[in-house]
Amino acid sequence: MATTPAVARRRTNTLIWIWTVFVLVAVYLPIVCGALASFNKSRYFGFPIKIYATEWWQKTLDSIEIGMLVRNSIAIALLVTVISVVIATFGALAFARYDWKGRRLYQKLIVLPIFFPQPVLGLALLLGFNAVGIQTSWLTAVFAHLVWIVPVVTLVIAIQVYGFDPSLEEAAYDLGCTRTQVFREVTLPLLWPGIWSGMLFAFLLSWSNFPLSLYTAGADSTIPKWLYAKMVAGYTPMVPALGTMATLGAASLLLGGGLVMLLLRRRQPA
Amino acid sequence: MLQTLPAAAATDEAPPRPILQLVGVRKVFGGFAAVEGIDLDVREGEFLTIVGPSGSGKTTLLRMLAGMDQPSEGNITLRGELINDMPPNKRPTCLVFQSLALFPHKSVGENIAFALKVKGVDAATRKKRALELMRIVRLPDNYHDKNVMKCSGGERQRVALARAFAYDPEVLFFDEPLSALDYKLKKALEKELKDLHRETGKTFIYITHSLEEAMVMSDRIGVMRAGKLVQVGTPEEIYGAPVDRFVSEFVGEVNTLKMKRAGAEWHGVDVPGTFTLSPPKDGASLDEAFVVIRPEYMRFLAPGERADNQLTGTVYNEYSLGSRIQYQIRVGEKVMLAELSRARALAPGASAEVTIGWDAADAFTLGS
Repeated sequence: MATTPAVARRRTNTLIWIWTVFVLVAVYLPIVCGALASFNKSRYFGFPIKIYATEWWQKTLDSIEIGMLVRNSIAIALLVTVISVVIATFGALAFARYDWKGRRLYQKLIVLPIFFPQPVLGLALLLGFNAVGIQTSWLTAVFAHLVWIVPVVTLVIAIQVYGFDPSLEEAAYDLGCTRTQVFREVTLPLLWPGIWSGMLFAFLLSWSNFPLSLYTAGADSTIPKWLYAKMVAGYTPMVPALGTMATLGAASLLLGGGLVMLLLRRRQPA
Repeated sequence: MLQTLPAAAATDEAPPRPILQLVGVRKVFGGFAAVEGIDLDVREGEFLTIVGPSGSGKTTLLRMLAGMDQPSEGNITLRGELINDMPPNKRPTCLVFQSLALFPHKSVGENIAFALKVKGVDAATRKKRALELMRIVRLPDNYHDKNVMKCSGGERQRVALARAFAYDPEVLFFDEPLSALDYKLKKALEKELKDLHRETGKTFIYITHSLEEAMVMSDRIGVMRAGKLVQVGTPEEIYGAPVDRFVSEFVGEVNTLKMKRAGAEWHGVDVPGTFTLSPPKDGASLDEAFVVIRPEYMRFLAPGERADNQLTGTVYNEYSLGSRIQYQIRVGEKVMLAELSRARALAPGASAEVTIGWDAADAFTLGS
C-alpha cells in the first residue's frame, strides 16, 4: 500500500505540530503552574486550587523586604550591563579585528569561564574576597557576575564584529576621520545591534543568576537568592508571585528590546 | 613651495613635475618582501594603472600610497613632501576600495557627503554638494535619500566614486572596484571612469589584474610581478614592446619559442629549423632568446607563399572568438596559436597539414 505524496505531507505536518506543541507545553507549563500557585488563596500549594485570590501578589508588592531585594537585583543587573558591555565591546574588537600576539590564547581564555560550574566559581570568588579582606555585598556580586557574563557578552558582540568589513573603518579614516570620528560614525553604529543584544544578555543573565549571588552577595539579597531561601524555609505564595513577576519582567524587557531593534532598523534610509 | 606649483597644466615641452614619486619602496611582511625596489614617478593628472596577477604586491603598493601601510624602506613623496608615515586622514588622497566600503547605515547622500560631514560642513551645503556630485557621476537626484544597500552594483560604484570626489583628493586610488561586475556593465563603467578622469583632471592610480581593463583606460600602465615593477609604459609600449615573456604573456595569448644562437644562426629549441629574429629592443647581444609571436601575426601560408619563418604542423583544435577563429596547431611537441577571420576560416575537414609563418618584424625577441 503506497502512500500518496499528499498523505505523506499531511502526516509530516501533523508530526511537526505534535512535536511543536509538546515542546512548548514542556517549556511553558512549569511557568504557568508557578503563576497559578501564586493565585492560590491558601498558604500551601496543592492542586486543584480551591480558592483563587490576588492577595499574595498584593502582599508581594507591598513588602518592604522584597522592594529592597528587587532594587538590589536591578542595581546589580544595570551595573553589570554597563560594565560588561564596555569591556566586551573593546574585547570583541580586540580579538575579532586586530591581529596581535596572544590573540588566540585570549580568545580561548575569555570563553572558558562560561563553562566553569557556577557554584564553584562563586565559592572560589568568595574565598578570594575573604583572602584579600573584602567584605561581600551586592558590589562583590557585581564583580562575580561580570566574571561570568563578560565572556558571554564578548561572544555576542564578537559575532557582530566578525560580520563587518574592516575596510569600512579604513574608508572612513581615508575620508578624513580621526580615530574617534571613525568609532563614532562607523564602528559604533554598525556594532549597535550586537551591543544591544549584548546588553539584553548581560541584564537578563545577571537578573536570573542564583549561584554566584548566593556566594558573593553577602548579606544583600537578590530575587533568585530570596526565592531559594523562602523555598528552604518559610514558603508562602509570595515565592511564586515574585518568581512570576521576575519572569514577566524579563519577558517584557526582551519584547521591549526586540521592539527597539526593530525601530533602529526602521530608522535606516528607505 | 606647494602653492607655487602650477595647476595641472601639462605642456608638451617640459614634462610636468611628478605629483607622486616613489624611490626604492619596499614592504616586508614577516621576512617576505611583498613589494620591492619600486621606483615610479606619477605625473600630475595622468591615469596610471598597475596590473599584475594576484599576489604580485599591487594592493600592498596601493595601500602604502594611500597611507594604510607604511613602507619598510624607501620614500614616497607627494609634491616633494615625504609622506611615508602620513596617516590616510591627513593625505590629500582617496581610495576606492575593492569592496567599495560604502557605509551600509547611511543613505546615498550621506555616504557621498561623508567627508564634508567630517570636516564640519553644515547639512544644507552637504546636500547641495552631494547632489552636484551625483549629477557628475550620473545618479538621479531622487537617490539622495535612498538606502545605499538597495542600489545596484553599478549605482554603488557611482556612489563610491562620488564619495571619493567629495573629499576633493589630489590623487584617487582604485583597488579593482569593477572586478565584481558583469562584463557589459564593467565595459560601460570603464568608459565613464575614463571620461570622469578627463573631466576632473585629477590623477588616477588604478590597480587591476586585468590588462584588458588597463588598456582601455590608462595613459600609462605599470606591470607588476612578484613585488617588482617589471615595465612601465603607455598601453602601446606594453603591447608593442614588452620587456620580457611575462609581460608579453600577460597582454594576451602568445606563441613563445625558445631559440639558441650558433654563430650567426638561430636554431629552434622547441621546434626544428633555423629562424630569422628581429634584434632585441634593448640591443642586447644574446646567445639564448625567446621569440614571442602574437596569434594575430601568425599567418597561414598557401603553397608558394613565403614568410621569414615557417613551421609545418597539423590543426587539431579550433575555437570561435566571435568574429575570429583561433586554431591550435601542433608542431612536433609544441602547440602554436594562429587566428583567421571567420570569413577566411579553413574549411572543416580540409587537409589537416598546414604551414604557418611570421615575419621577423612582427615578433619580439626577448632575453628572458
